Amino acid sequence: MTRYIVRRIYQLIIVFFLFLVTSYVLFDAIPGNAFQTLLLNPNLPPEAYQRVTELFGLNQPLHERVILYIQNFFKGDFGYSYTRYPKTPIELIAERLPRTLMLFAMVNVVSFYTGFLIGKILAWRRGSKSETWITVTSVFSYTVFYPWFALMMLWVFGYKLDWLPIGKFLYPETWYESPYTSDEIFISLIKFVALFSIVQILFFIFSRNIESISKRRNTRLASFISLILLSILYWNSGDFVNQKVYAFDIAYHMILPVFTVTVVAFAGTALLTRTTMMEVMKDDFILTARAKGISQKRIRDRHAARNALLPVVTSFIFTIVTIIDGSVLTETIFSWPGMGQLILDSVLQEDIPVAMASFSFIGIFALIAHFLADISYAYLDPRIRIQSQG
Amino acid sequence: MENDKNIPSSIRKASIKKNWAMFKQSKLGMIGLYIVAFFLFLSLLQPFLFITGIWNLGTYDPVVGYSEQFQDFLVVDCPKEYPTEKYQSRTDCPARNEINIKTLFYSDAKVGDTINQNLQPAPPSRKHILGTDPLGRDIFSQIMEGSQVAFVLGLLSATLGVGISTILGTIAAFYGGRVDAYLMRQSDLILMLPTLPLLFIISAFSELQVWHLAVVLGTIGGLGGSVITIKSQALQVKVKPFVDSARITGGTKMNILFSHVLPNVAPLALLFMVFSVTGAIASESVLSFLGLLNIDMSWGLMIYLAQVEGYIFSGMKFWWLILPAGLSVTFLAGGFYLVGRGLDEVFNPRLRDR
Repeated sequence: MTRYIVRRIYQLIIVFFLFLVTSYVLFDAIPGNAFQTLLLNPNLPPEAYQRVTELFGLNQPLHERVILYIQNFFKGDFGYSYTRYPKTPIELIAERLPRTLMLFAMVNVVSFYTGFLIGKILAWRRGSKSETWITVTSVFSYTVFYPWFALMMLWVFGYKLDWLPIGKFLYPETWYESPYTSDEIFISLIKFVALFSIVQILFFIFSRNIESISKRRNTRLASFISLILLSILYWNSGDFVNQKVYAFDIAYHMILPVFTVTVVAFAGTALLTRTTMMEVMKDDFILTARAKGISQKRIRDRHAARNALLPVVTSFIFTIVTIIDGSVLTETIFSWPGMGQLILDSVLQEDIPVAMASFSFIGIFALIAHFLADISYAYLDPRIRIQSQG
Repeated sequence: MENDKNIPSSIRKASIKKNWAMFKQSKLGMIGLYIVAFFLFLSLLQPFLFITGIWNLGTYDPVVGYSEQFQDFLVVDCPKEYPTEKYQSRTDCPARNEINIKTLFYSDAKVGDTINQNLQPAPPSRKHILGTDPLGRDIFSQIMEGSQVAFVLGLLSATLGVGISTILGTIAAFYGGRVDAYLMRQSDLILMLPTLPLLFIISAFSELQVWHLAVVLGTIGGLGGSVITIKSQALQVKVKPFVDSARITGGTKMNILFSHVLPNVAPLALLFMVFSVTGAIASESVLSFLGLLNIDMSWGLMIYLAQVEGYIFSGMKFWWLILPAGLSVTFLAGGFYLVGRGLDEVFNPRLRDR
């Protein structure tokens, strides 16, 4: 396993450098040299012009510029934002990254879990009427034109029913006298969600070995309820008492985007789980399990679903990029000021340093997500573990 | 291709017939096929209508057409405060057949009168089946134009992508070693590129045309994950006995590659092609929805216009501006997806019911 991880890290570094070079060459290929034309922007003082020229080595040949760019990347130096002058791209990204991270993590976890559960049930009920209906709904939500769907959701829940806020991630009125910045709140929210999910996973792993199904379900339910009680305690302790109101405000604004993306994103996982489950159910060991007289639910959960999980995780590795794309769109439509909106704005305003920095960061983001998914895949698939040992 | 001549046409016909029968069994696959056929019909119908002169270009052109739409309106005075007995909220007044007296100029009409006015967007009528947009253009004609764009783009990018990935995948499987390692790293890199931000950046290069987009999407799709899958399929074919026997009988590498390995990878490639059409259609719509594509008319652009002009939150009052375009994208993408699933069941014996 360690050897496998080391090899993956080694590959990761190579791909990462390739990515940096590709992204620089891409930006450099913009016709009319976007760097220089935009530097003649009257909002930028001449010092900034000088500095950016030196930083990107604009008077040097391409290969030296690429090397300079990689060096600057590791220094975290991208010059200045053209449109928001005194700010640097890194400051802008540092401000927006927690927001994107929060949304992305929530959507991923929720949609993957619901997708897997629904796919499992779908494959099991093959041929029944409910299967057809759920499949049709899943196909619809898998192929629905996402921006349109999101706008419809906004219209229904935000406007017509007026249950949830339309756009933005906080009510400014609530935050007038706030001693915290929104990023602090975001970071404590991320910490909380991470803690919550780790404890939940631990509970899950421990309860996995309980044999009887009803007992296992009860244990899980009890652990979930106690977790919720614990989290209420958590938010009422220490510094979090004051942060509670603001955290709640953000969470309230997050419901609609998360729900919308989940409705769209769960379907891919569900449909794939269905396919792989159907393949697995043709295998001989399922027949053996049936012949042994094991209960249907147990065959489904223990024998079939666990083997069907592997390809689903693989596809999850492939779809991470799709989900990042989706969150770019989500941010644009729900005016959630995160990385996705930053990259779209900077491209539209031709703010090249910001576009470059945020594109690189989204790339790294995708890379790390890939890496984590790869590792979990290796953990799930014993064949990879054994191969890398031998 | 000598190999093809050796197969009697009757056997090939029988095999096609068998596969067709198998495809027909999947109900959802057939529904998908009908949907795709319907949109294909729509996209072919528009030029037919223009050429035969049933539709007048001046009225029905999807981009510059215009026609006056006179309707009867009841003149009302919208209240200052809501809710009232008749109206729930501000957006309900004026209702569809009413006109606010405050927005009525050059007219002596009083509250309660009925006047005949040319007002766009006009609701569906016999002349315009799906109504008109705020500029007086026929929505149905726009839908047809949009489906032409979707088909051209989807098929072009899917063919390109699948061509690239099939060739690269089989080469990777066949030559192995360094070529394989290079191609796999390359597709790792492409897989990692966030497509949508990449497309944003490419749209900053120049005015993106539809065929530019098709080439970009095809290349990204062709170099990415599908290479890996096709390679693994080709690896399975490579170790089959008939490849060995072809080599023993003196077949050259190229010969084996083209007449033995490629035909066996083709079904999988076809599957990828159908699935990637879905992605291409969605990408085009998203880009034109964000206003990044240089295009006269497409489904995404129709939604973009409806949103920019503020009709999205008017709800169902102007449904013909919102629903047809959104549903067309969804249904055509869904249709291709369903066809792909049906094909999957034909090519993958483990998915079959029996």
